[in-house]
Amino acid sequence: MQFELRTQVVEPRRKTFSNLVRRYGDRPASRYEEGSVDIQATENFHYRPLWAPDKELYDPTYTAFRLTDPYSFMDPRQLYYAPYVQSRAASGEAFAKSLEYVDTRQLLLKLPEGWQAIVADLLLPLRHYEAGAELISIEGSRFAYGTTIDQACTYAAFDRIGNAQNISRVGIAFNDGHAHALAEAKEKWLGDPALQGLRRLIEELLIERDYAKELVALDLCDRLLYSVMFTHLDEAALLSGAGAYSLVAQHFSTWFLDQRRWIDQLIKTWFADPEYSEVNKAAFNDVLARRWNQIVEAVSDVAAALDARVDTGAAAAAQAATSAVAAQLSELGLTVPGGK
Amino acid sequence: MTVPTQKPARKLSMQQRYSALTHDLDWDPTYVTEEEIYPYTTFEGIKVHDWSKWEDPFRLTVEAYNKYQAEKDRRLYAVLDGFAQSQGQLGLTEARYMNAMKIFLQGIPSGEYQAHRNFSHLARYFNGPGARFASLCQSLDELRHAQTEVHTLSHYNKFFGGMHDWSRMSDRVWYLSVPKSFFDDAGTAGPFEWLIAIGFSFEYLLTNLLFVPFMSGAAFNGDLPTMTFGFSAQSDESRHMTLGLEGIKFMLEQDEDNLPIVQAWLDKWFWRGYRLISLVAGMMDYMLPKRVMSWKEAFELYFEEQMLNGLFKDLEYYGIKPPRHVQWAIDEKEILSHQVYWVLYQYSHAAAFTTTIPDAEDQAWLEEAYPDTWPVFKSVVWDKAQRVVDSGERYFNPGLPQLCQVCQIPMGFTEPGNPLVQCQRHSIYEGERYDFCSDGCQWIFDREPEKYVQAWLPVHQIYQGNCGGPTLPDVAVWYGLEPGDGGEYIGSMDHQDWLAWHAPTIKEG
Amino acid sequence: MSVEAAPRPVGVDIQENEENRAVVEAIEADNDDLTVRHMPGIIRLTKSGQLVINQASIEERLGRPWETHEFQMAMISYFGEFVEWDDDRIVIAWKH
Repeated sequence: MQFELRTQVVEPRRKTFSNLVRRYGDRPASRYEEGSVDIQATENFHYRPLWAPDKELYDPTYTAFRLTDPYSFMDPRQLYYAPYVQSRAASGEAFAKSLEYVDTRQLLLKLPEGWQAIVADLLLPLRHYEAGAELISIEGSRFAYGTTIDQACTYAAFDRIGNAQNISRVGIAFNDGHAHALAEAKEKWLGDPALQGLRRLIEELLIERDYAKELVALDLCDRLLYSVMFTHLDEAALLSGAGAYSLVAQHFSTWFLDQRRWIDQLIKTWFADPEYSEVNKAAFNDVLARRWNQIVEAVSDVAAALDARVDTGAAAAAQAATSAVAAQLSELGLTVPGGK
Repeated sequence: MTVPTQKPARKLSMQQRYSALTHDLDWDPTYVTEEEIYPYTTFEGIKVHDWSKWEDPFRLTVEAYNKYQAEKDRRLYAVLDGFAQSQGQLGLTEARYMNAMKIFLQGIPSGEYQAHRNFSHLARYFNGPGARFASLCQSLDELRHAQTEVHTLSHYNKFFGGMHDWSRMSDRVWYLSVPKSFFDDAGTAGPFEWLIAIGFSFEYLLTNLLFVPFMSGAAFNGDLPTMTFGFSAQSDESRHMTLGLEGIKFMLEQDEDNLPIVQAWLDKWFWRGYRLISLVAGMMDYMLPKRVMSWKEAFELYFEEQMLNGLFKDLEYYGIKPPRHVQWAIDEKEILSHQVYWVLYQYSHAAAFTTTIPDAEDQAWLEEAYPDTWPVFKSVVWDKAQRVVDSGERYFNPGLPQLCQVCQIPMGFTEPGNPLVQCQRHSIYEGERYDFCSDGCQWIFDREPEKYVQAWLPVHQIYQGNCGGPTLPDVAVWYGLEPGDGGEYIGSMDHQDWLAWHAPTIKEG
Repeated sequence: MSVEAAPRPVGVDIQENEENRAVVEAIEADNDDLTVRHMPGIIRLTKSGQLVINQASIEERLGRPWETHEFQMAMISYFGEFVEWDDDRIVIAWKH
């Protein structure tokens, strides 16, 4: 057959692009590698930014966290655009199915009273927390040095605005298709004392101008908040006849596991850097010194407010999460400030 | 597309729902000020009174975005996989077709990537949530385009020269400073200027000229992956065009003081973008073995008819005039591609693509497409080049060209109405002389000389010893050029391989 | 409801494939005086004034539900402005 004969004589000249051959040797490369490594420009920039004349357009000094080689960080999920949107299309469909199940059976409206209060007063306002988290993450998409970090931040940003939209959908379902629960939740976000610690944190992070410090602080808060709001409450909900809450919560817990994978890898890479390991630990310690107590307090306020509505032991769960995260950080050689 | 499961009747309209899911996520900060969170939206002088007036007709949510984009990429990657498995490159019209794709890969993914990063800047720093969310979606799209372009051309890279080191080349090689300086220029400007530069002037005014004829040309030359990628990318582009159009109208509607600022940006970025895509003119008319339409025809259809007679009549309402140097572009449409390709021909020994004299079939097509200008150009340029070839040589320009300080294209454009006299303009700034290819580029320089004097001009850099050494071979090594990347097409590695792949003994198997 | 539209041409480029045939047919049926131009892989539809894409007409030809968002999958480019993009129809026109 003509086709087979042809293919026999056509020898490829090379297996992949030269930049990847220089890095990894002459071997075939994955689509993640071809689409992510060395994509960002690194030299011969033409003009200085009007809004940052002391910096280059892409500049490693936009953050205190540094890497000798920006591509020493590789996303363990190997997400480039196509698998990213495909995996999110699947999780989006799964969320929509859960919500539809909850919605058609009006399960949110049938939640025990205390659980209804948890949804209205504490879960729904978190859509603003997620919207703020999106802004923090997208800062990394612009200011990270190197495409692999930029890319992970970009997807995190899109995930977080997606989380905000999913929480909003819960709110619309909670109101049987109307939006007033969202308006009330916004009032809570703006005024309820239990949420002001979180809001203050987000607003203060948004003026830091160091995307990685913002990201680290946000992540510390996420670890505590997700642990209480989603992991702990998921189990408690199942035990107290609030299955609808559990159905919703599991999607956020699952997302957070995925989010942790790249952030943990980034932290690991920072601390393993041959040149900047100590610089990065110092930057991390700086975040801890400035933000840890603020974060612990903000989440314990939320936990106390949860317990006031349904006593699930959220405060104890928050404390346990705080100790666990503090222990992990200490193990990395970081200095966690003493509690209040 | 899978059929969506039947949803319960919605009580919120599409618009209300979209608003609840995007605009309403925003809040007014109280622990810090709005100015501290969004510090970059005042220095350009654009006045915005009400960000909530920003309209996004597409009203995409994250859920819908992921669903449709996943479907688009499933289709695209299926084509790429099938093409690679079936050795689809053997079905191209000719190997020289790949030259257009080489320039595309070297120049475009870096630009898309810059667009990704800078739309993220807008997604972070615009005060209005509607504008931010549209910018966020575009940021993701642009990352998609950079990656799908690399993945589309990845298979070709294995079989043809010129593509193997595209990302380093885009930072170093002389003609690639044209797209790089363009995107650097926009990315170092403020967020509103970026939106006019890329969102409006590039996406709305000019990308149709870049993509539609080009992708149709890919379809015509057996390049299924590029066609599929291109059409798939263009479907995102429609959203981007809308963001650009919404952006300019938003600025013009917010305050009448914005008009002169927007008009000046439009004047600047039309000319910047037009000069950038003049490379496309050369590619369209000279590098495609089979052509869909000429540059002149595409310019008339996609620019003169759609933009000048459609869009600018619409913008007249706000007091916007057509771009300052638009008449120059119209006057050039018959000669632009000839001049650009002649520059590429002379210097392709220092480039990562090959060129050749148009063959008889090409010449017949050029004569029909450009009856007034081709015969003159042929006798002045190509007949001479042919005589050199007939004597057993190949003409390459041994010197280094002078580059325009703004667009960075070698000075080879001519005076309006006189295609035989090279155009040269200059300005003096702080005692130094700077040269330009046209009134348009000079006007841009004179508005912001402190910016354009910073330009990393490849030829100056070579003279200053910053590009690997003093000789052309030194520079070629620093560029990452390998044997088979540049020079004359006839007899090149690509050409020889192509002949071997299609040798009769194999064909008749 | 009708949209005030300037009487200048607007248009849309659609990728030529099996899926989009129903979309093109629906647009042809719903818009008088449409100009249709074929290029490799592309169908270009232009019209003076306004161009309307109706969900119902497309669903009728496709025999399945079709969301207006899906039009983004069919479209390669357009000129004019999306003056309306709702659940049931899309309108392209010049506003001024």
